[in-house]
Amino acid sequence: MNTPTSQYQPVLRVENLDVRYGSFQAVKNVSFYVHPGEIFGLLGPNGAGKTSTLSAVEGLLKPDSGTIRVAGYDYRKQPLHVRASMGVQLQSTSFQPELTVSEIIQLYAGIYGIPLTPEKIVAILAGIKLEDSANKRFGQLSGGQQQRVSLVIATIHHPPLVLMDEPTTGLDPQSRRQLWERIESMRDKGHAILLTTHSMEEAESVCDRIAIIDHGQIITTDSPQAIIDSNRDKPEVIRASRRGKITLEDVFIGLTGAAVRS
Amino acid sequence: MSSTITSTATTITPGQTIQPPVNLPSTAAVFSGLLRADLTTQWRNRRASIMVILIPTIILMAWKGLVAKFGGAFVLSNCITVGLNAIGLMGYTNTVARDRDKGIFQRLRVTPAPRWIIIASRLVVQLAMIIISTLILFLIGYQFDHITMPATGYIYAFLAAIVGGAVYLSLGQVIVGLIYNPETVQVTTRLVYFAFIMIGMFAQFGMLGKELGNIADWSPYGAVRNIISASLSPATWNNKTSTALLITFGYTAVFTILGIRWFRWSNK
Repeated sequence: MNTPTSQYQPVLRVENLDVRYGSFQAVKNVSFYVHPGEIFGLLGPNGAGKTSTLSAVEGLLKPDSGTIRVAGYDYRKQPLHVRASMGVQLQSTSFQPELTVSEIIQLYAGIYGIPLTPEKIVAILAGIKLEDSANKRFGQLSGGQQQRVSLVIATIHHPPLVLMDEPTTGLDPQSRRQLWERIESMRDKGHAILLTTHSMEEAESVCDRIAIIDHGQIITTDSPQAIIDSNRDKPEVIRASRRGKITLEDVFIGLTGAAVRS
Repeated sequence: MSSTITSTATTITPGQTIQPPVNLPSTAAVFSGLLRADLTTQWRNRRASIMVILIPTIILMAWKGLVAKFGGAFVLSNCITVGLNAIGLMGYTNTVARDRDKGIFQRLRVTPAPRWIIIASRLVVQLAMIIISTLILFLIGYQFDHITMPATGYIYAFLAAIVGGAVYLSLGQVIVGLIYNPETVQVTTRLVYFAFIMIGMFAQFGMLGKELGNIADWSPYGAVRNIISASLSPATWNNKTSTALLITFGYTAVFTILGIRWFRWSNK
């Protein structure tokens, strides 16, 4: 087995990524990195290229050019090592509807080579307060419960990198707060987390750094507060401000435009 | 960002990466996990599986009177072929179309499971269905229609059923490769299933004319039925059956190549 290149490199390193759909270039020369113990948010309007970027990192689409390295492994050379080094929570939680929650956990643990006894599965479910739902079908769980199970599965193999595509979409405020706490807890355990979100509140609350992507290009990368501070005096940001105080949403609208994207 | 973080193994500071070596799970472990899940899914959908076996069973019982006229091999081979049609076109194809639509494949594709294993596990489940269906039809044929074949006939027919089943599984792969919407896939597989059975059956009785009879004889239905029939009664195997066997392999090869080439893991 090849060993990772360095102990001091970011867990995820994306360089000069290009993704095209026919003649349309969805992602243009995108580069960013995510360190361990860091929550990195990818923000952008609909069609900006964030899902294409995330899909390329997940290995669901093949980029036209650029490099993606996860935990030191190159996607083109060692795709299985890359996939084993990351946990993924897709936008729609998609598990076999015929299987129970414990069967789904057992399936994915098996795929990652993690042996689990029934007692261990119960303990895992107890950790997310779902010990009574072991024999329920996934579809019988609420949205928040589904997200918790999905997150447990994404991290069952303790991956260095966790990818989350709009993890709190459709959740009520309580479930959303609970999920934020879980994401922060994962960060504290050393996971590097890359998430996409449309929620500026989420980006401000949980992300250590964010990148705003528009028309396939990253237009700014920094901590949420630093992005607000460096853009608060721009006329387009001031115009976007609704309450006098400049928020991340104002900066986002100011930088990406107020027009609704399809 | 917190000042220190605790990984599963050690405490590190931000900016420093402790990268544990990745232990890839063995292919056998991944396959076994997927197979267990796919078998459980098949079991929980047993009503559909029963329907797949029930139709050829009913035909076999209804055709009891034809055994004396056309022979046990003829009746049994038709019923086995109908069962193979149903397993390949409706069982496999519809579950693949549904799981693709629900994003189940996408979820599996982001894991270290090699992609061919995801499909191989499903094919093994369908192989089990072929074996069960063929065994049930042998038993019903023996018990109800009093069809008795030589032991070698049962063994060869068993193998022929697996070879024939591959034609319909690969044809199903072509259908899910060409059509993405699961409802449209379902309608299409039913139409193809119905067309194969009706044209194949009526044509072999000469009810559709000689020309269509010839075409039907070499169709995926006719070719598979011919090799199963001759396998059940090995003494009747002739050049025409050998040609049918080659054509069966040909259908499988062409459908497999096209099915894999056109297949998309996601509807989006």
